[in-house]
Amino acid sequence: MMKIRLSRGMIDVLSGAASIGCFLLLWLALTRHTGLGELIPGPDVVLAALFKGLFGKVGRHGILVHAGYSLARVLAGFAIGGAAGVVIGLSMGWSRFAEAVFQPLYRVVRPIPPIAWIPISIIWFGLGESAKVFLIFLASFANVTLNAWSGARDADRQLIGAARMLGANQRQIFLTIVLPSAVPQIFAGLQVAMSNSWATVLAAEMVRSSEGLGWMIVTGMSNNDIVQILSGIVAIGVVGFVLSVAMRKAEALLCRWNHGGR
Amino acid sequence: MRDDNRRNQYFLVSLASVITVLLVWYACIDVLELKSQIVFPGPVKIFRTFILKLHTRSPDGATLLSHLGASLKVTMLGYLLGAAAGIPLGIAMAWNRLVDRLAKPLFDLLRPIPGIAWIPLFILLFGIGTFSKALVIFLSSFVACTVNSFTGIRQTKDVHLWVGNVFGATRNQLLFRIAVPTAIPMVFTGLRVALGASWAALVAAELLASNVGLGYMIQQSRAISRTDIIIVGMLAIGMVGAILDKILHAVEARVAKGMNVR
Repeated sequence: MMKIRLSRGMIDVLSGAASIGCFLLLWLALTRHTGLGELIPGPDVVLAALFKGLFGKVGRHGILVHAGYSLARVLAGFAIGGAAGVVIGLSMGWSRFAEAVFQPLYRVVRPIPPIAWIPISIIWFGLGESAKVFLIFLASFANVTLNAWSGARDADRQLIGAARMLGANQRQIFLTIVLPSAVPQIFAGLQVAMSNSWATVLAAEMVRSSEGLGWMIVTGMSNNDIVQILSGIVAIGVVGFVLSVAMRKAEALLCRWNHGGR
Repeated sequence: MRDDNRRNQYFLVSLASVITVLLVWYACIDVLELKSQIVFPGPVKIFRTFILKLHTRSPDGATLLSHLGASLKVTMLGYLLGAAAGIPLGIAMAWNRLVDRLAKPLFDLLRPIPGIAWIPLFILLFGIGTFSKALVIFLSSFVACTVNSFTGIRQTKDVHLWVGNVFGATRNQLLFRIAVPTAIPMVFTGLRVALGASWAALVAAELLASNVGLGYMIQQSRAISRTDIIIVGMLAIGMVGAILDKILHAVEARVAKGMNVR
């Protein structure tokens, strides 16, 4: 049994390596030997630029510092937006009154993509960090609210009834039934929120900023430097991947009780 | 009777909440003048601008509706092509081991990069016309459609496939009669996620480089500090996004009749 699984895993790894390898070779061959080379640099050039950017500088900072700027903006907005989303979403799911108050306002704001707030955030908050944090706040707030809301609303009515019959008060019902049953949904919302926030911070940095990975690719555009754009895109992909893996790991760790119980 | 009463109450609270927000907004801006109309226009001014923008071209060269038409055209082009490519690829990757081994690694490489990050590259390579915008939207829609179709097919129960086998179904019949119908709800989830992503990507592309469209309109209005037009544009973006989502819901209700019931 073990042997079969191992070899299947090996085949997956090998075929993955083969397919990515073929892609890179094709890219290399096309840029070396055809007219495409005049438009796009080969993978070797991009990787070299990436390594040079990691240890040297792109603009005023190294790539790691740019990534750090973007990440700091995401984490600040994500923390505020996530917290606000959980509180408002849970209160909407828990109390009909809160739902009636917030629901129409939420319905107006939610369909506006956070990216569409970029121009007005610049007018309201200027060009500094607060405009970007505000955008990330919006990006994470909308998703988390929606999931916390539906998570709390879909709590098992029978469990609540049983608890009430056994004399639980409102606070106990909320803390021991509604909140735990909403947690998995909240985590799903946080994951979507994280990937949205990552896209939004790039857009915000592309429109206006003086550092960050979004800045890196957009200055590559204005300086006609495709190598810088492509190495920036690779860095963006790596950070995006790390963020989504980190969110999944956090969920697996914090919601272990949920996976075991079913 | 009691249910009706409750629903009315709910509606009244919602209505009161909207009216309160509008009144507070009006009082703060138009009566108390806490912020100047240039930074934070009042509701009356926004409504007037909306009516005006329906038939005047100044200051950004087109009426609201022609901006909207331009944006919609590009979005639909990229979105539909992305769905047409992404859904079959997702199904093929989930159904066929060879496709899975070859295409999945490449797809996983592409996936963590937000569609928006490609904007500078495409603008540099293909200019600021329809093509590069449609390509960005294509990628955003493609990724979401592929992921969800893949998950949908993988959800097919083995037992159902065994039953098909017992009754002598061919491989094609297993796919089109059992696996694809199982996947339809997930495919629609993908289409909805893709629609939201496409609409956001369009706004980002138009903010960065364009000469028509809603994103262009709000970006231009920022340069000349016409906050009222920005807000009208944002509300239009949100409203159209919500309407598109509603349309997709209606299509889903038609196509996937009863399939969402578990």
